[in-house]
Amino acid sequence: MENTKELILIHSQMKHISSVPSEGINIMLTPQFYTIKREPLPVKYAYQAKRIAPSLFDGLLEDMENHKYFVFKEENTWLFIAYDTEKIKTFLQRKGIEIAQVSKIFFVEQVADRFTAPMLLGEQDALVNINDTMTIVPQMALNPDEKPIQINVNFTPKKGVAFEGKGKSMVSTNEAYTLAAIFALFAIIYFVEGSRYGGESEAQTLEMQTLLENHTSLQSSYARRSISDKYKAIDKKERKKRDVIKALSHMIFKGSTLTTLLVDDKKFQAQFACKDTITAKKLKELAKKEKFNTTKIANSNDVKIEGTL
Amino acid sequence: MTQWKAYKNEIIAGVALLLLLIAFIYKQGKVSGQTDTSANTELQELKEVISLKKIWGDKKITKKVDKLKTIVSPSKVKWRKKSKKLTASFSSLNNQELNRVMVKIMNLAVEIQRLEVKKLGASYQVEFKCKW
Repeated sequence: MENTKELILIHSQMKHISSVPSEGINIMLTPQFYTIKREPLPVKYAYQAKRIAPSLFDGLLEDMENHKYFVFKEENTWLFIAYDTEKIKTFLQRKGIEIAQVSKIFFVEQVADRFTAPMLLGEQDALVNINDTMTIVPQMALNPDEKPIQINVNFTPKKGVAFEGKGKSMVSTNEAYTLAAIFALFAIIYFVEGSRYGGESEAQTLEMQTLLENHTSLQSSYARRSISDKYKAIDKKERKKRDVIKALSHMIFKGSTLTTLLVDDKKFQAQFACKDTITAKKLKELAKKEKFNTTKIANSNDVKIEGTL
Repeated sequence: MTQWKAYKNEIIAGVALLLLLIAFIYKQGKVSGQTDTSANTELQELKEVISLKKIWGDKKITKKVDKLKTIVSPSKVKWRKKSKKLTASFSSLNNQELNRVMVKIMNLAVEIQRLEVKKLGASYQVEFKCKW
């Protein structure tokens, strides 16, 4: 679509443009607005060639900072085009073209092969292809038998460049795409995380519904609390009794024999017969670890262990 | 048409930023829904009640209690069960039998009212009273 817009040839003698189509225009620059250099570089891709472009023009250009570079591959060489964006912008504005109205910038070098005949630039100059290099010559030097050609939309090459920010933009194209990529990446992360949390939340609700459907007696929160209180109390007490019995069972070892055990709702008591004082001491240490009360039975090695529940 | 193109870069970055904000708000909304503690706590409480009910309100507990009677020789057991209460007495148990009885009692989801173990010579006597 960009390549079907009206193509305007930009040269120093061009007339003031009174109106520009609302969809914008493409412009084609003549050699008055750029400098070219051909180099047979051993690089494969245009971006690699573009990287070294500034060094190629070092010393050739007056104001390096305002120059941009366009590179394209010819048969055996790379063609480097350096153009001064500020100079072009100023010129276009002087001729009535707003930067925002310019979609793409092309260079006549890109379509040199189409110049089989001269193209007139105003009343004095003409644009001709001399040995594959576009050159501006005086019209008086032209062969009067050659019929000049006119530029039209068919001259539009496939590849062109655009003004960065088109003069008003505060963000460059590269910056805009980088920012957009970062924002989009985070947006995807947030969406994925959000959907994961959402899935968990829905699963939780579904689980709740399923449980309540399967346990109709627990649908009322009052009933739940009442049942919970009842069973929690039983669970706590009964677990304690079993924990005590388990702990006491670990105190039965070689030389230590359980002689009595009593467990009821409130307390527990156990008596162990120990073969000697060392065993009794060891037993007392084990009981102490469990925070049980111990008593040594008089005139024997027996140990009584007790506590409350 | 060319006017918006003048701000194409800002529009691209702006739309992406808007998308980011929408995604962030979406995520926060879902996170706050997830950390709705009342709903979460209710589910955990419900699970806990179901779990407790399954253990301490087991409808098959009577049958499980009856199995206690069969793990030692019937001659060594005195069994008195009334409704949901049991008084059982095990006598002349050797070490292995005592272990079996104690392990079984420990694993029964009943309320132990009284458990008494006495060593009489080389054997043991167990008195067990419980309800469910």
